[in-house]
Amino acid sequence: MHIMEGFLPGPWWQLWFAISIPVILYGIHKLNRMMEEKRDLLPLLAVAGAYIFVLSSLKLPSVTGSCSHPTGTGMAAILFGPAISAILSMIVLLYQALFLAHGGLTTLGANVFSMGIAGPVIAYLIYKIGMKAGLNFYFTVFLATAMADIATYLVTSLELALAFPAQSGGVIASFEAFAAIFALTQLPLAIMEGAITALIFKYVIKVKGDVLVKLDVIGEAGLRKIQELTT
Amino acid sequence: MNNMLDDYALISPLRHSNNWLKLTVVAVGLLFGVSATSPVTPLFIALCMSFATIIFAKVPVKFYLQLITLPLGFAAMGSIIILFFFGSGHEIAAVDIAGYHLAIGNQGLEMAVLVMARTFSGMFCLFFLALTTPMVELFSVLKTSRVPDVIIELSMLIYRYIFVLLEVAASIKFAQTVRLGYKDILSSLRSTAMLAGTLFIRSWEQGEKLYLAMNSRCYDGKLVMFCPKNPISIPELLITSLYLVSIIALFITTNHMPAI
Repeated sequence: MHIMEGFLPGPWWQLWFAISIPVILYGIHKLNRMMEEKRDLLPLLAVAGAYIFVLSSLKLPSVTGSCSHPTGTGMAAILFGPAISAILSMIVLLYQALFLAHGGLTTLGANVFSMGIAGPVIAYLIYKIGMKAGLNFYFTVFLATAMADIATYLVTSLELALAFPAQSGGVIASFEAFAAIFALTQLPLAIMEGAITALIFKYVIKVKGDVLVKLDVIGEAGLRKIQELTT
Repeated sequence: MNNMLDDYALISPLRHSNNWLKLTVVAVGLLFGVSATSPVTPLFIALCMSFATIIFAKVPVKFYLQLITLPLGFAAMGSIIILFFFGSGHEIAAVDIAGYHLAIGNQGLEMAVLVMARTFSGMFCLFFLALTTPMVELFSVLKTSRVPDVIIELSMLIYRYIFVLLEVAASIKFAQTVRLGYKDILSSLRSTAMLAGTLFIRSWEQGEKLYLAMNSRCYDGKLVMFCPKNPISIPELLITSLYLVSIIALFITTNHMPAI
């Protein structure tokens, strides 16, 4: 869910930039370090970024009939970790603003925070905890990506509510209002994206499971166990 | 598959105008539009930008009107909430829904109009930039403004692969549709997942091939690009300064309300 250009007044859009930029800088630092170790990472990350863009331009079958599309950031977080996802999301969001007129430039900071930082962090945490706890792999992926979507939408509502607090009831009242209105499209979307991402992983494991081992998403033993279960 | 604004930018008559000039026009529009406290300045910016996009950049009017409907949905939804919840001052209108008394105050109305105006001015500036400046031109701007090399490299490669993958996705989707892959919700879910999964594997293989290809051509972490110099012409300079001066004048004269 993108906040449109010009929707956030000052000082809020500057504030979200101020929060997002350190995370991006940390991501760049981390990326530089990873690049020293594995040179072949950059082309792979690039196609992953392009993949996120294309994924987010696929229209999902939507229940409410509105135009809804997966964000793909939850999946990126599971594959590459939250710091790298933040950078990929920033570039993808910039392209979405310039190619498709989704989102905007002054609201880029806020959008990067909600879609590129908050969502991926939640997805990553849930995925790690779920795998530690020995939950079913596909169920964990579903939970992680669905919750990433929900986190993204709640943070977006919060960003809007902070900028436009209600006269009676303040930030909380207007947060409830924004969250309630966006819930109509976002909740079914989150479940859809969770289901689709789980199916994507199922397909990838069936055809090219070694990619996931290479990325440290699952261990060799874990992969074999899942493959045995499905075949 | 999508209306890519970049396609229009590549054939735009303003493509070879100076990048910094275009960026200044857009940046000033964005900043003054978003910090205005009366709807006059944003509306003026929106008007100028649409004029420039349609007359100078020769974007088809029909396509432009289609674009405008994009931000409308989001802006309308947000503004309705502001309309009802931001309201104080005297009541203008009120409705009762399910026991809730929803009132529109005059402040809420002013705020909603202002936010709509700001969104439109911002979106129109963005449209102008997107429809006249292709990404390839912006890369050279990024390079001169000292953005870290990794980011530029990554952006350029992502840019290239977006088009490759979009083509693959479009042909897979076409094949699926022909075979009734999207006939109901369940099968379209399955088809979408299959499409996305295949796309992931395809893009992974592409990435490996790309690495090999780049490495065998002595890739050392830097792509060199050609940055042509586009001088600013006198009429462009005149129109831009006229636009900037009138925005600043309007901004100063209409910003009487306290900042919100």
